[in-house]
Amino acid sequence: MTSPATGPSFLRSRHLEFKVIGVLLVLLTVIFPVLNAHGVISDFTLTLWGKYLCYALLALSVDILWGYTGLLSLGQALFFSLGGYMLGMHLMLLIGPLGSYAKAGQNPAGLPDFMVFLGHTFLPAFWRPFYSFGFAALMVFVLPGAVALIFGFLAFRSRIKGVYFSILTQALTYAASILFFRNALLMGGNNGFTDFKLILGHSLVDKDTGPATMRGLFIASAVAVLVVCAFCHWLNGTKFGLVRQAIRDGENRVLFSGYATAHFKLFVFVVAAMIAAVGGALFVPQAGIINPDQMTPAKSIEAVVWVAVGGRGTLIGPIIGAIAINALRSWATHAYPDSWLIILGAIFLVVVLFLPGGIVSLPAKLQAFWQRRRKSSVPEPTPLQVEPENPKS
Amino acid sequence: MPTPHAAGAEPTRQTDTARQTIVRAILTDDDAQKRTIIGSLVGQGDEAIGELFTAWRQDSLFIYAAPDGAKVPVELTGDKDANGAQTAVKVIDGAPLVDVVGHPIRLVGTDLTAVEHDSRLRLAMKNVVDLLDLGSPILSKRLHAIQTIGFAQKPDKLPALEARSRIETDAAAKTELREAIALIQLADPDDAVKLQALTVLRELHNSSSYDVIKAARTKADAAAKTSVAKAADAALTAIEHHKSVVNFFGTLFRGLSAGSILLVVALGLAITFGLMGVINMAHGEMITVGAYATYITQNVFGDGMNFTLPFIRVAIHLPGLHLTGWTYQLYFVAAIPIGFVSAALVGILLERSVIRFLYRRPLESLLATWGVSLILQQLFKLTFGSNNVNVDSPVYLSSNWTFFDITFDWNRVFVIGFAAVIVFGVWLALTKTPLGLLIRCVMQNRTMAACMGVRTERVNMLTFGLGSGLAGLAGVFVTQLGTVGPSMGQEYIVDSFMTVVVGGVGSIFGTVVSALGIGMADQSIQQILLNPVLGKILVLVAIILFLQWRPTGLFAAKSRSLD
Amino acid sequence: MPHPLLTVEDVSKTYDGFKAITKLTFYLFEGELRTVIGPNGAGKSTFFDLITGRAQPDVGKIEFGNHDLTQLNEYEINRLGIGRKFQTPSVYTEHTVWDNLVLSLKGPRGVFASLFQRLSSTDHDRLDELLKLIRLDAKRHWKAGLLAHGEKQWLEIGMLLAAEPKVLLVDEPAAGMTDEETHRTGELLISLAGKHSIIVIEHDMAFVRQIARDNNVTVLHQGSVLCEGKFEEVQSNPKVREVYLGRGKHGNR
Repeated sequence: MTSPATGPSFLRSRHLEFKVIGVLLVLLTVIFPVLNAHGVISDFTLTLWGKYLCYALLALSVDILWGYTGLLSLGQALFFSLGGYMLGMHLMLLIGPLGSYAKAGQNPAGLPDFMVFLGHTFLPAFWRPFYSFGFAALMVFVLPGAVALIFGFLAFRSRIKGVYFSILTQALTYAASILFFRNALLMGGNNGFTDFKLILGHSLVDKDTGPATMRGLFIASAVAVLVVCAFCHWLNGTKFGLVRQAIRDGENRVLFSGYATAHFKLFVFVVAAMIAAVGGALFVPQAGIINPDQMTPAKSIEAVVWVAVGGRGTLIGPIIGAIAINALRSWATHAYPDSWLIILGAIFLVVVLFLPGGIVSLPAKLQAFWQRRRKSSVPEPTPLQVEPENPKS
Repeated sequence: MPTPHAAGAEPTRQTDTARQTIVRAILTDDDAQKRTIIGSLVGQGDEAIGELFTAWRQDSLFIYAAPDGAKVPVELTGDKDANGAQTAVKVIDGAPLVDVVGHPIRLVGTDLTAVEHDSRLRLAMKNVVDLLDLGSPILSKRLHAIQTIGFAQKPDKLPALEARSRIETDAAAKTELREAIALIQLADPDDAVKLQALTVLRELHNSSSYDVIKAARTKADAAAKTSVAKAADAALTAIEHHKSVVNFFGTLFRGLSAGSILLVVALGLAITFGLMGVINMAHGEMITVGAYATYITQNVFGDGMNFTLPFIRVAIHLPGLHLTGWTYQLYFVAAIPIGFVSAALVGILLERSVIRFLYRRPLESLLATWGVSLILQQLFKLTFGSNNVNVDSPVYLSSNWTFFDITFDWNRVFVIGFAAVIVFGVWLALTKTPLGLLIRCVMQNRTMAACMGVRTERVNMLTFGLGSGLAGLAGVFVTQLGTVGPSMGQEYIVDSFMTVVVGGVGSIFGTVVSALGIGMADQSIQQILLNPVLGKILVLVAIILFLQWRPTGLFAAKSRSLD
Repeated sequence: MPHPLLTVEDVSKTYDGFKAITKLTFYLFEGELRTVIGPNGAGKSTFFDLITGRAQPDVGKIEFGNHDLTQLNEYEINRLGIGRKFQTPSVYTEHTVWDNLVLSLKGPRGVFASLFQRLSSTDHDRLDELLKLIRLDAKRHWKAGLLAHGEKQWLEIGMLLAAEPKVLLVDEPAAGMTDEETHRTGELLISLAGKHSIIVIEHDMAFVRQIARDNNVTVLHQGSVLCEGKFEEVQSNPKVREVYLGRGKHGNR
């Protein structure tokens, strides 16, 4: 008969799914850094995987909106970048006397290099609090959360949903990206922030101590993914999870059950923005750069690709998708630089058209396929119980 | 400094050509009279004057003593031969010097008397050359010269301007002359002259004289001359008023044309998204198809082109028609149907291969078509290169027309007219043709239409083809307004979607209104903020706020169903 | 005369020029079981839409107790205690039967409450009781989307009851049910009357006769009340016969 679970069918319950994720991530958190410390895994590979984990956070933020709540946000790259920019501001200020202008003796005030380049002589007021790591870390949550709160409030209040919500979030992201491309915003213009040296007193670039810092960041990223998964897992078990799924499947009906769907969606939207922002904040020191290219609608849609490929409406799907696509990208952009975008586009087409459940639905599909093969060889053909289609978008 | 009219020695004989006058100057012995004769050339526009003066200063003019004893001034030009001889050209008519039987005479410079010049003479010549363009038969050159002289505010040029204004026939040049004279008079020490000049300037209210008047006003203030300051204020106000009127209509025009571009770009989307409910993220690439179709058409009309299809590595050679002149210019007219058809074909291919499986899944159509968009962009890049390609503007679109100081670029006027035509065309197609009826019935209820025997598959295909074809048409147009490159479509996609959403999904009329509205708003905000990026952001914010007020857009179809 | 619980006065509503409701006046009293009948297009569902906040009237007054319902939205009206069962069964198809009821259970509806709220043993008992009442006890772990049409109707009635509203708006509950189930639905509605106030929209005349035995029937026609009274009176009303009953049992036009 049917199962009450909403997870992929090969993981019969969402508890099992969560256990699988937990074990994998704990192993990842321990094994990768240990192997790296012993030189089995190169520093480059470790940092690469650290970035994949940050992308996994971005993918999870897309998934709790799209997969679980039915809101296809094309603005998650914006929140990811905002988080990155907030921590980036702190890291920029830490460069201080290590920057190239300071070394040339042209930067007495210890400004970020791009400001010196633009002819500024003192630090703008809104930059000053970012000397404190605590403040920057707080802002990683506050600013993206506030943007999501304001935008979400307006959008959900006027009951903008479905594709309109997608188009509007796309427009928001687009507007923000052209804003950040401007030098006048004093956020580094199209070059963004780069050339970081230190984080929390640890060097990011030193030949001896740098790798250890990177291991720390890797572990932090893996733990963040684990915490987010645990949070989502808990959320799915609450009545909130029930309401959220009901909103996805039939929002208008939920209103007649007395739930203010706008409030629920707003809550999810803000939480998702913060999750994406944490991903961005962890991404910046590992990637060593943040610029407005990360903020474009195209990047947001790409994150949706990861989720679709991995399998939406599951927790493991976005993680698998983010890692798989980005690993593929790392390889393909070198092996087939001309065809990479075509490969990405084609993967997306194939997944949307033929594998709406993503990679996680593959085992079940294969199983069904083999069963059909076996049954068709038996004289009496029985109609196959087809898996219920994935929830409508 | 001698002015042309200072000496009364020998007045310029009206019948003389510039060359004859110069010959006379050369042959005159008296230096002062030489200068007077040269001065008489002021205000003439003969190109020969400049050339001959240059030759004179560079010591290329000589006096050839003809066998009959006449002194013939000649210019020696061309390369020297073995004997050091050069071609001799008569100053008087620019014709080669010939002997009695008509053979050209070659002369050696050192054998002849050079035509002398001293610094005062050179100054007189410079004075003539400065004012040379004032008499130029080419209007634009003349206008430019008049403006330059006016802004220099040199009183010594005044007589030349006045002389010119007496014989000037062109209305625009006359106005310019009035302004230039007034500007020079503004520098006159006499207040009465200044006041009169200011009255003229107020009447003309040309914005280019604003700074000069402002400077004069500051000076008058400093000298406590209230009447002049007042008159200057009046002139400034008149200019400002005029400026604001011009700006208003200019903004209106630019807004209308920006709105029309938006409309052309969004109209296709209003059909595929608005009527069919398909979120086609590859809509921008349909625009690119139209633009590249224009590029190819242009090359076929010209010298042909070669390109290689990526992956299958098939080299394609398109032979050129090698047309020139106006037949070549017609390439743009030919590109219009070609752009439409090629984008429509790509659209139909897309519909058959991908979109028809996604009619009931709008969000997934968004994702799948984004994949298509990536693939197409990369294919364009591999086929045509990642750099922008150059599409010429045909002459009939590259000019402009100034009316009341408002510049109407032909390409903008054209895009407005074109938008009107295709909106009308789409309206006709949707309301007055059998296909339109089928389209509307299928879009309202696919299942019901299928039950009624409508071949919905075909209608879907054709509708999507129409929407894509319109994007292709937009592509043909944007070649005249923006760059053409593999990712150009991305510039339009966000704007197009917003236009359709604001207008109300499913309403072509709404799209028209919202496109023009957004275009106007965009241009007005740009006019006020003088910052296009900030303007764009503000428009987006305004749209988001607008949707608070009307979440379903301006003209949305109301529905009673639960979802 | 007692003060009406639900007051609808001079309400009109047009959709793009189509007059769905015209000058409708209607009162519902505490504990009443009212049946509304009328041919298709008479405005019955629009009438419910107006009460539940799905649509706003162009003019007119809709009050529930001291609350002006025209100023409230769907979930606020629901929280006041007006529950609705839709014409086409609207259950959460991807949720289990149990979860459908949990979502509908009377209790706080806020975001944070839903995060930390746990089902009490009383709640469990109440849900078990409801499951037995709607005879879906054995299928409590089924996805609601897999239920038969009649079972979905029952589930939706169960969801309505779980919320314990003051007023129940029931739109065609008998559609898709067997005669036996229809009868049982009627019994249930009659038993609920008194504790709850109920408005039932129905086409099935046998069903209407059953539940309207001692209660009033309102006939809607072209968006306003054609007549109101006991079933027999209504049935014998010549105007009603003309527009509705005279055209056959279900009055399809």
